[in-house]
Amino acid sequence: MDFVPHDRKTITEMLRVIGVADIEELFQDIPKDLIKEKLDLPTGLSEPDLFRHMEEISRKNKIYTSSFLGAGCYYHYIPSLVDFVISRSEFYTSYTPYQAEASQGYLQAIYEYQTMISRLTQMDIANASMYDGSTALAEAAIMTTLITNKKSIFMLEGIHPEYIEVVKTYCWGQNISIEITTEDKLLNQLNEDVAALLFQSPNFFGDIEDISKLVKHVREKAPNCLLVQVMTDPTCLGVIKPPGLTDIDIFVAEGQSFGISPSFGGPGLGIFTAKKKYLRKMPGRLVGKTKEINGTREGFILTLQAREQHIRREKASSNICTNQALCSLAALVYLLAMGRTGLKGIATQNFQKAHYLKSKIGKIPGYKILNTKPTYNEFLVKCPSIDSLIYQCKQRNLLPPLKISKYYPQMKNTALVCITEMNSKDSIEAFIQAAQVALNNKAEG
Amino acid sequence: MSYEFPSDLKYTTSHEWVNLNDSIATVGITDYAQHQLGDIVFVELPAIGMVLEKESNAGEIESVKAVGDLLMPLSGEIVEINEQLAESPELVNSSPFREGWMIKIKIFNTIEIDELISVERYKELVKSEE
Amino acid sequence: MKSNITLIFEKGIDEELQNYIPEMDIEVADLKEIIPQILLRNDIPIPNVPEIEIVRHFVKLSHKNYGVDTGIYPLGSCTMKYNPKICESIERLPGFSQVHPLQEENQGSIELLYNISKFLGEITGMDGFTLQPAAGAHGELAGLLIMKKYFEHKGIKKEKIVVPDSAHGTNPASAKMAGFSIIELKSNEQGEVPLDHLEYAMQGGDVAGIMLTNPNTLGIFDRHIKEITQIVHNNGGLCYYDGANLNPMLGICRPRDMGFDIVHLNLHKTFATPHGGGGPGSGPIGVINDLSPFLPEPCIISTENGLVCKESAGKSIGRIKSFWGNFGVIVRAYAYILALGAEGLLRVGKIAVLNANYLRILLQQKYKLPYNRICQHEFVISDKNMPNNITTEDIAKRILDYGIYAPTIYFPLIIQGALMIEPTETESKESLDYFVEIMNKIYEEAKENPEILKSAPHNLPVKRLDAVLAARKPVLHD
Repeated sequence: MDFVPHDRKTITEMLRVIGVADIEELFQDIPKDLIKEKLDLPTGLSEPDLFRHMEEISRKNKIYTSSFLGAGCYYHYIPSLVDFVISRSEFYTSYTPYQAEASQGYLQAIYEYQTMISRLTQMDIANASMYDGSTALAEAAIMTTLITNKKSIFMLEGIHPEYIEVVKTYCWGQNISIEITTEDKLLNQLNEDVAALLFQSPNFFGDIEDISKLVKHVREKAPNCLLVQVMTDPTCLGVIKPPGLTDIDIFVAEGQSFGISPSFGGPGLGIFTAKKKYLRKMPGRLVGKTKEINGTREGFILTLQAREQHIRREKASSNICTNQALCSLAALVYLLAMGRTGLKGIATQNFQKAHYLKSKIGKIPGYKILNTKPTYNEFLVKCPSIDSLIYQCKQRNLLPPLKISKYYPQMKNTALVCITEMNSKDSIEAFIQAAQVALNNKAEG
Repeated sequence: MSYEFPSDLKYTTSHEWVNLNDSIATVGITDYAQHQLGDIVFVELPAIGMVLEKESNAGEIESVKAVGDLLMPLSGEIVEINEQLAESPELVNSSPFREGWMIKIKIFNTIEIDELISVERYKELVKSEE
Repeated sequence: MKSNITLIFEKGIDEELQNYIPEMDIEVADLKEIIPQILLRNDIPIPNVPEIEIVRHFVKLSHKNYGVDTGIYPLGSCTMKYNPKICESIERLPGFSQVHPLQEENQGSIELLYNISKFLGEITGMDGFTLQPAAGAHGELAGLLIMKKYFEHKGIKKEKIVVPDSAHGTNPASAKMAGFSIIELKSNEQGEVPLDHLEYAMQGGDVAGIMLTNPNTLGIFDRHIKEITQIVHNNGGLCYYDGANLNPMLGICRPRDMGFDIVHLNLHKTFATPHGGGGPGSGPIGVINDLSPFLPEPCIISTENGLVCKESAGKSIGRIKSFWGNFGVIVRAYAYILALGAEGLLRVGKIAVLNANYLRILLQQKYKLPYNRICQHEFVISDKNMPNNITTEDIAKRILDYGIYAPTIYFPLIIQGALMIEPTETESKESLDYFVEIMNKIYEEAKENPEILKSAPHNLPVKRLDAVLAARKPVLHD
């Protein structure tokens, strides 16, 4: 099938108006030997055949009844109205709202998203979105080098390993040096040439850092070093202290938890916030409130565009153009649906359920919780046999936790377990049972 | 279009004006330059104490749809900046040669002064660009 | 005075709404025992809004917005074509939307990613593909980092990239992010790359290559494309193809055959995935064999044991995004390619060019076309010679008054007061005729009643907004 609305007669008529004999004549600028004979692709499919075919492919992915896997991508409940709102085609089939007067709906929604994120994080300003948490962190790193005019970045261990890789790639492009270190070593290593310290909390292993303490130490040692915090599941902000209250300079997060399906890891949402004084160095789009030139009504408009690539070209601090607008709309609707009560409720359940499982697992002989700091909805478990645990989970139709040796080969037989409000008591009990059976059947791994 | 061209000033080919007073040069952008940029919304100026070479980038001037550079007309040290522009960038539009001044430089090399252009030559330059 | 705007934050009730919180079916501990008080927050300044209020709020906002489903969306270089609804249904299948990126049993996703790489390879002529980049500009960055890595491996120092002045702003910005400096090349009076200037620029020796859009942003296919890529190759450079304008080339002509080494595609343009008000997109890049080892990791390869995911072979530029890319967007594009097939894709290219030329011929009767010759997917008109000093912005705002969206304005920068028009293949003749009718009416108004243009728009929720005020005194949240 195709989606061209012309019939043959219309095409003939249009060719006559243009004054050419056939469509091929319109390609006369293309050298003859560059014209492709025929693409070697399958023939087109009708809608029912296409749907059947795609459904077959989708069935090759396993869908579980319950998940214990997180590590940067989370199963949270998505209220039905989220998909309803983002499916309004006035939103999802629109382009970047360059013509403000004909885009007041989306512009107001983005302004509300910026407001929502500012309120949730207590940071001064939020942009309209970045691609995902990892690229938001990489762009934050670059931004700190532009603010400070320094070319050295420190990262604390415990940042999502894939985020570290992305930051490395971006920084390599601009000859920015990177040091990965631990909290203990950090204070001896920090110096006046460091643009920023990047850290994650709750971190990849689940630990919630005492940020006030960390900030205090860094400020004492290197007053000009900026602090950048990243988060992979910001639903925890329903309960824990927001970054704006701990003197963080730039806060970024993966916003997938806010009403966006896992979708094999994308699209997600790069949340990007900063202190107001860094506004001019901030990458990405911003919507501002303004007034009519000749009138009194208020309206919304893309603003501070002179920061961006379409005006500043090679002088722009970032090349970002397309962002994750529709995902930011989903996040806005999700956060509104939840409201302050729901956000607190969800975060509390994540804490409670993870705590419940943590205390139960810790009591099974052979299993040991490795976290010594408080945790949110993820924690590390040393197991007698990780492969056996994974096998037993699959037997019970549970999506197994992350085998952390995927990223840290030295951490053998260790699982990164994730629990959200979606895990019922039954599923938690099933996981405990899987862990117990795995203990008795090590061989199966 | 008619622009203001004060005759007591020196100019650069990159549209800065320079007012010399002993070893201190006051610098801004010309009336023609501010017209080209349109409504100015933000001016970024260097830190006081910075030492910059002639023709190096001393700042940026943003309008809604464009960005212009402020280039050093002469090598020297930045001794003063126009703090008012942070709150009122529109002064560059309304009064480019007076209230819209941008930086004061303590100049190092008086030979460079001869490389600045006269108002007559600057007028010709603008005419050719229009 | 009461504002004309009601933000959702002004709504809400005191009731503790808990509609979306599942039952707490475990024994609950004292939260203070789980987490120290000092780490907790006191309040969340977000209202509790009943569902009906939220729904009505956004339905009202949607009425103040315009999409491809509303009408013609002739934004040049943005390829605002119809987004088939079937692709939405497919993307929402649980077997796609509910899959975790780190789960082991993911053969469906892996197969889909592998297959679409092969399809895109056939469409562009390229050998290796990565689907990781989240958007066109992200693909540009990945592509330029590959160039950088390639020369680093060869031990050759290359620090500059040639970019024509008609290029999308992302090109120079991406090159800068990859650590290159820019040589801007001025287009000639045909809107094409001047070969002698290119030759001269390349002779410096430290030029890594060129970034080019073909057809370019004037909608013109550069007739000397083979000579251009030849000159770059002869001087040891690589050629990057910005695929933003690939739509009219589908099934007609391939970037590889033009001589390009790296190409990015915008799945949210050429392959009909929705723009979503500015994203999410997807910007896969394809490369020739010599550059494949440098692609971001991981890559999917076919082996005797089926498809496997290959991690670093040591030369890769590394990761450019977490996980696999914008998979949900890729699923839609894959479904689109399967729906159209070889024949359908060829028809896309042909009709996109037919529609653009039809508009061009009809609009040239009144408007000035700085480069008036057969175009590909788009063309540019200018506000030069408009009666009564009417500007491009005036025209655009008046177009909105007639209930349709305006073309891209003031781009490309090389044309004074540019209006860049790209109708795409999914607009009917009636829709194109309506656009022409409105443009002609606006031209008459410019002559007879210029005030109505200068003060446009009149029929929208707000009149022309003050961009200067917004930038001088930014108000970015409530």
